[in-house]
Amino acid sequence: MPQASRTKKPDVKVVILGDMNVGKTSLLHRYTERKFKDTISTVGGAFFLKQWGPYNISIWDTAGREQFHGLGSMYCRGAAAVILTYDVTNWQSLAELENRFLSLTDTANTDCIFAIVGNKADLTDTLAHGPDTESERGDEAQPEVPCPTPPGTPLQHKQVSREDAVALYARVLRYKGLEEKACLPAETVCFETSAKTGYNVDVLFETLFDLVLPSILKKRSEGESSTVDLETPMEVKRTKAGCCA
Amino acid sequence: MSVKAFELVPAVEREQVMGEKVRINIECIECCGQHLFLGTNDCFIHHFILEEHMTAKGKLAYKAQKLLHKYLGLKKPVAELKAASALERLIVLCDSTITVVDMVTLELVPFGGIKLKGVTAFCINENPVTGDAFCVEMAVVLARRRAVQICTVHEDRVDMLKEVTTPEQPCALSLDGYNICLALSTQYMILNYSTGASQDLFPYDCEERKPIVKRIGREEFLLAGPGGLGMFANAEGISQRAPVSWSESVIAAAVCFPYVVALDESFVTVHSMLDQQLKQTLSFRDGHLLQDFEGKVVLASSKAVYILVPLPLERQIQDLLASHRVEEALTLTEAAQRNIPKEKYQILHKRILQQAGFIQFGQLQFLEAKEHFRKGQLDVRELISLYPLLLPASSSFTRCHPPLHEFADLNHLTQGDQEKVQRFKCFLISYLHEVRSSDSANGFREDVDTALLKLYAETGHESLLDLLASDNACLLADSAPWLEKHHKYYALGLLYHYNGQDSAALQMWVKIVNGDLQDSTRPDLFEYVVDFLSFCSNLDLVWRHADWALQKDQKIGVQIFTKRPISEEKMGQLNPNDVIAYLEKHSQALLLYLEHLVLEKKLQKEKYHTHLAVLYTDKVLGLISRPSANEEQLSAARQKLQRLLKESNLCRVQLLLGKIQDSELLLLERATLHGKLEEHDKALHILVHQLKDSPAAEEYCSWASASQDRSYRQKLFHQLLSVYLDPDLPGGAQTIAAVDLLNRHAEDFDAVHVLKLLPEEWSLPLLRPFLCGALRASVHARCTSQVAVGLARAQNLQLQHDRLKYRGGPILVSEKKGCQLCHNTFSEPDCACLPGGTPVHIHCVAKKALDLPKRQHENAHRSNHT
Ligand SMILES: Nc1nc2c(ncn2[C@@H]2O[C@H](COP(=O)(O)OP(=O)(O)O)[C@@H](O)[C@H]2O)c(=O)[nH]1
Ligand SMILES: [Mg+2]
Repeated sequence: MPQASRTKKPDVKVVILGDMNVGKTSLLHRYTERKFKDTISTVGGAFFLKQWGPYNISIWDTAGREQFHGLGSMYCRGAAAVILTYDVTNWQSLAELENRFLSLTDTANTDCIFAIVGNKADLTDTLAHGPDTESERGDEAQPEVPCPTPPGTPLQHKQVSREDAVALYARVLRYKGLEEKACLPAETVCFETSAKTGYNVDVLFETLFDLVLPSILKKRSEGESSTVDLETPMEVKRTKAGCCA
Repeated sequence: MSVKAFELVPAVEREQVMGEKVRINIECIECCGQHLFLGTNDCFIHHFILEEHMTAKGKLAYKAQKLLHKYLGLKKPVAELKAASALERLIVLCDSTITVVDMVTLELVPFGGIKLKGVTAFCINENPVTGDAFCVEMAVVLARRRAVQICTVHEDRVDMLKEVTTPEQPCALSLDGYNICLALSTQYMILNYSTGASQDLFPYDCEERKPIVKRIGREEFLLAGPGGLGMFANAEGISQRAPVSWSESVIAAAVCFPYVVALDESFVTVHSMLDQQLKQTLSFRDGHLLQDFEGKVVLASSKAVYILVPLPLERQIQDLLASHRVEEALTLTEAAQRNIPKEKYQILHKRILQQAGFIQFGQLQFLEAKEHFRKGQLDVRELISLYPLLLPASSSFTRCHPPLHEFADLNHLTQGDQEKVQRFKCFLISYLHEVRSSDSANGFREDVDTALLKLYAETGHESLLDLLASDNACLLADSAPWLEKHHKYYALGLLYHYNGQDSAALQMWVKIVNGDLQDSTRPDLFEYVVDFLSFCSNLDLVWRHADWALQKDQKIGVQIFTKRPISEEKMGQLNPNDVIAYLEKHSQALLLYLEHLVLEKKLQKEKYHTHLAVLYTDKVLGLISRPSANEEQLSAARQKLQRLLKESNLCRVQLLLGKIQDSELLLLERATLHGKLEEHDKALHILVHQLKDSPAAEEYCSWASASQDRSYRQKLFHQLLSVYLDPDLPGGAQTIAAVDLLNRHAEDFDAVHVLKLLPEEWSLPLLRPFLCGALRASVHARCTSQVAVGLARAQNLQLQHDRLKYRGGPILVSEKKGCQLCHNTFSEPDCACLPGGTPVHIHCVAKKALDLPKRQHENAHRSNHT
């Protein structure tokens, strides 16, 4: 995957939040490096610059550890999208999103987009075993980490259902004081993913990138002039295929 | 593995600071230019000059020379020293009080304005907002005050500009423009003292751990964060770089782009701001101070001072490459862009890209390698030279020095692993292929093409032929033996041909066709060679190989002559006579060649036509005389002959007639030949009486009169009719044939004449189609001519109308008006008009018209006299 040039300034920021060990680093890693490998506990935070069409998007991976909790607000400052991540096999990880992480997003942009992501779906869903074909690109030659559950390993109990995530989304919007009707529907922004198999990972990131584009345009036009440009439509429709592959 | 980014170089030895006194500690440092100031715990300021010099080993070293030391007289440690070099002042914090001393004499300078007592911390604005070069902006924190004072220090006074209140007691601060970055007792924040806007950064317990607030550039600060993190924050309170990870016991940090250097109890650590990685660790005990001054990183224990000298970037990059850390090396290189002159940077960048490419190449990461080679504009021969024997022997190439990689050659690289060797070769093929199609092969096309040819030959790549067939620069001397070695004989022929050695090329190919050499590249090689010869402009070569080709296959071989393109130039043109003479011994080929001349190229030469006709005739006669020949063959052969006889007007008829005179079978041919001589009676006789083939006779009439006029045609048909009606012939008149003829060709007869000819007793219905046709034709002719007359008349009227219109208005004629010509009056309305519309009698005009030539003549005479 072509990395954005080493010295470019990002146009927009996406932040991944969530308790430690839910798989934030693994998700980002899967998306950027197209593989799943052992991660070490994230210290402080890290980010990756992704070139998306003509834009540079910085994706921040944060540390879920309590110790670094105080940094969250700063990371979220000016964010155009926040990915709230939990672990589908761990109810507590969903609860933590509301208890600890939601308030960190106060510093994000007012039009910030929220995604709720349940990771490790491979542990509870056979469906998540194959990487979703539509997003898997053929650029990976090396063999995958073998992911099908070995026979005899029963699927784990799914502690968080999709409905729980959708309900959380509704509460997030309420917390933000937003009308549910005026916001993106839960189907669009609630995902279940597996960093291990790649299931839904590209879909997650690329959906968000497309959704933050208007925010980039807004930022650009604000940066360029104070004149209101009625010509530049804010709802620029971009197809996925049109972006860098 | 790590990089060596800095080297620790001693600057001020402990003896130079404390002499014999053991309990003296360095408390603070200030450095500007060559001047180094130290503040000690015994209230002294020491002034050194730091001299830089190179050691014999080419390393940077420092020698400190003490200029002066001065006791401030307060018995308290000197906590902070800041230089205001434009003012030649040192700002000193000692005993919670700010004082100002002269930089040179270190004497206290009395100053007016506010007094600054109870100061716990202060900082200088490195990005001042006043624009006054002779004043220094300063932010001061006072004990037990939740506020920051913004002051300006002038030569002789200190003014207070503003006091900004803070939510908590500040403990450390840094200033950039209007932005104050503050460590408060429980958190960091950024305050804009112009707008009053403030931004919380993140919580931090300053009681528990000493905060670090360090300006690292325009509107960007570095802060000590929880868990020993080095956090970056800009003036908007946003982190634009990922944090670096220090130890929890970090004491101080400094920045020397692109590195962040930090000091803790026992180490100096170096992180890159570009990728946040730890790059170097230096063991350093008793570390006390770490600060950067205009790019110089100064480190001090409590007793001595050191400088952290950055190693040349190039060295660092090379170190990274040596440990195969390609991405880091490139990142560092690109970050160096702003510190290096443009030309130098471009050279460096290219070289690093090339080296990076070779490292990835060695790791079989070909995609990445290719990209780096491309970006680094690699001399492609560097790459080719890794593959034994690929560069032409004549190539003048030598690898660049210092080398771009550590590989001797492919064998060294692969250690004999054949699968790897193949992968390397595939890569080179694709790489060279791309190089060819771009223009980066400039100047060494020979090397590239020859190498590519060798690779193709060796691997049996299908593109070998494409390469040779297209514009290429393969070196013959080098490539020929190689192709031979790999049995690519056909390709070798192509190479010879490309190099203008057609003879050698043909030799190769002939050997393959003959089976003397084995190369199955082209199953149709024989056809190819023939085709080649047909285009070959070297006639000598053509003649030399024609025999071989014709012996192999006359039908194909003759294409050497028949497929030869016609061109204007004389060169490469064959004289047909020569060819015919030459082909004499190859009868099949000769026939094909003549057919080509006569039927295809339609050469109008009697000789060829007759020759071909004779050959056809011979063939037919031959078939007739051979009992084994079958109907089909014969009729095919005859058809050819007949066609030629009919279509050609050049054959020598008598000769041919003589040849077929005796044959009972070739009547049609004979009739045709008679026709050629316009001996229609003979021809018709043969057709009607000998051959008894009335359709053939009719066809004959049509054919023989095809290019003649109607009367000729009528004559011919009448002739045929008379033949049919001739009662004197054996078997009597051929009434049926005559009737059919008339009915079918009504238009070719003069009906009146025919009616006279026909016997009285014939019934009309028999001739109904003929008569109808004739009648209709005559009616049609009449109608058509009536129409023509009508049209002509209409046209005439139209013209008259136009003429009248052109002439103008009405002409008045009355009984009283006289004719201009005879002066008599008009008695009838008919009149003629002279130009100008004067009416005259018609008969007068007629008379005048008759006179006119005479008169004109007279007029001409008259005008001559005037
Ligand atoms: N089975 C499974 N394990 C995962 C997945 N994502 C992460 N992990 C594992 O979960 C642990 C924590 O992952 P990490 O990415 O470090 O989580 P973070 O603390 O949120 O960054 C690691 O051991 C990963 O191997 C997943 O999708 N499926
Ligand atoms: Mg992590």
